[in-house]
Amino acid sequence: MERPDVERTSGDHGGTKAGHVVGSNMSPWRDICPYAPSAVLTASAVPLGLTAGWGAAAAVAVMAAISIVSIHRLMQRIHSLDQQRHLLEEQIVRANKLSTVDELSAGIAHEINNPLAIMAQEAQWIHHLLTNTGLRDVKEAAECEDSAAEISLQVNRCKEIVHKLLSLARQMEPVYQCIDVNGLIDNITGLVEREAVPRNIEITKTLQPDLPLVYTDPPLLRQVILNLLMNACQAVDRDGAICVATLSEDGYARISVSDSGCGIPQDILPKIFTPFFSTKPEGKGSGLGLAICRGIIERMGGHISVSSMEGASTVFTIHLPVDNRPQELPSSH
Amino acid sequence: MDKFRVLIVDDEVDFVETIVKRLRDKGLEAEGVHRGKDAIELLDTRDFDVCILDVRMPGMDGIETLREMKKKKPSMEVIMLTGHGSVESGIQGLQLGAYNYVMKPIPFKDLLKEMTQAYERKLIEEERSLKPDGKA
Amino acid sequence: MSSPAKLLLVDDEQRFRTTTSKLLAARGFSTATAGSGPEALEQMKENAFDVVILDVRMPEMGGVAVLAELKKLDPHVEVIIMTGYASVDTAKEIMKLGAYDFMLKPCAIDDLVEKIEAAYDRKTARKQLK
Repeated sequence: MERPDVERTSGDHGGTKAGHVVGSNMSPWRDICPYAPSAVLTASAVPLGLTAGWGAAAAVAVMAAISIVSIHRLMQRIHSLDQQRHLLEEQIVRANKLSTVDELSAGIAHEINNPLAIMAQEAQWIHHLLTNTGLRDVKEAAECEDSAAEISLQVNRCKEIVHKLLSLARQMEPVYQCIDVNGLIDNITGLVEREAVPRNIEITKTLQPDLPLVYTDPPLLRQVILNLLMNACQAVDRDGAICVATLSEDGYARISVSDSGCGIPQDILPKIFTPFFSTKPEGKGSGLGLAICRGIIERMGGHISVSSMEGASTVFTIHLPVDNRPQELPSSH
Repeated sequence: MDKFRVLIVDDEVDFVETIVKRLRDKGLEAEGVHRGKDAIELLDTRDFDVCILDVRMPGMDGIETLREMKKKKPSMEVIMLTGHGSVESGIQGLQLGAYNYVMKPIPFKDLLKEMTQAYERKLIEEERSLKPDGKA
Repeated sequence: MSSPAKLLLVDDEQRFRTTTSKLLAARGFSTATAGSGPEALEQMKENAFDVVILDVRMPEMGGVAVLAELKKLDPHVEVIIMTGYASVDTAKEIMKLGAYDFMLKPCAIDDLVEKIEAAYDRKTARKQLK
């Protein structure tokens, strides 16, 4: 029901942003070039009592000097615009990707689950024939049976992935409740410690005591932090440290989860929030955990980022608006 | 405090008995059952606002029970309870729509706080679904 | 042992229909099948069914619309919805419309049989009340 809204946001933003980029690409020429000729004119028009030849030479020299300055400024300008464009492009690509995931997953769910359903039925029918008919006595029956069971198992695996993908796409309207984020973190770390302590992983907390209460969706936020902590545990594996910190920052609560684990190579760092991207061995982890995290945080008006030093540490940082409730709540009227 | 209705599902008979008694002392409507299947059946005839659900139970386990509960009563908030911190099932529970995941032993007052928050969420959601401009 | 429950399976995938009805036959159920919503409604007009197993997403007429029509034809028929796409919202909508239960696709035949039996029990229990 909220879907059209999301599609519009991503689509339209994509469009306008692209428009901006194209438009502003033109501006350095308008900004800088118009100055250059007029400066040249002013300089050459200064009556220095020079001969026409000298004047011309001086004009050329001045023009050259100004051109160099202009070109330098121009280059700087282009460079910074280029950077901005990259940033915008990245955002556009991501916005498009998100809406694609939304649309695709809804479609895929039906399209994949239907063939899966048929496979499941066929495997169960094979099982039935192998256990209830004369085939029972064939010597390869056990092996066939084993194959049929494996098909069922793998079908289930696909089903799980599809349903996880759906939970990523599903538009869960957050329910905002005023909560103590530090308390929520205490609660979750308590849970994760049971996993961490036996592996000699120490979880430390640096929580700002006067962190403002935050309007957020507690179960969704729990899901994100739990996911980040579990990833941290996996990255550290054994003997290491995980630190959770909170800090109030200009209308935002900043939550960071850092670990002393293996780090993430720079070249794959930009991809880790991408759906289906996973560094875990085949069959472990669907590659959706972090994509789901980002989806949740962005839906609540926040953002999540990552930085890492390979072989040393990784830090995930969440910025969550302190109050992101929809405006039409009682307070407005 | 608002009076809300609580369902406790745990195979530990003593635990259920104590909690139910204490909740009733607080003036809440509380009911306890010991198996997932019983909980699901009870939901056919009765409504609850909040459910406390043990993750590890013989027969139908907590996750399976949660799944069925969310089908039958999507608006009932569920708090998962565990004696052994199986973090994986915690994530799974939250993904399936549980409100929270807490560890036993939990002080009664903390559990009550969790329940109150969960109930508050249910009220917000109900209010929202009643609004005409909210989603259909 | 065969069950007296009369089933109608509605799904647009022909192969799914045939294999599922074979599996159900092996469990003692006799199952009629329909490949679309309108076809299911036609069958409903001619025969009485106890339990209908209904796919949500079908071309022509979606399962939710079919469910409403089925209930108009026979308010006592129990309907089990099958879906590859379950969200809390669809669940709410489907249950509100009077479906008995819903199942995720793909599903284990044991689970399906269990739900059919429960739905049939409820139907017969209700009949006895009358």
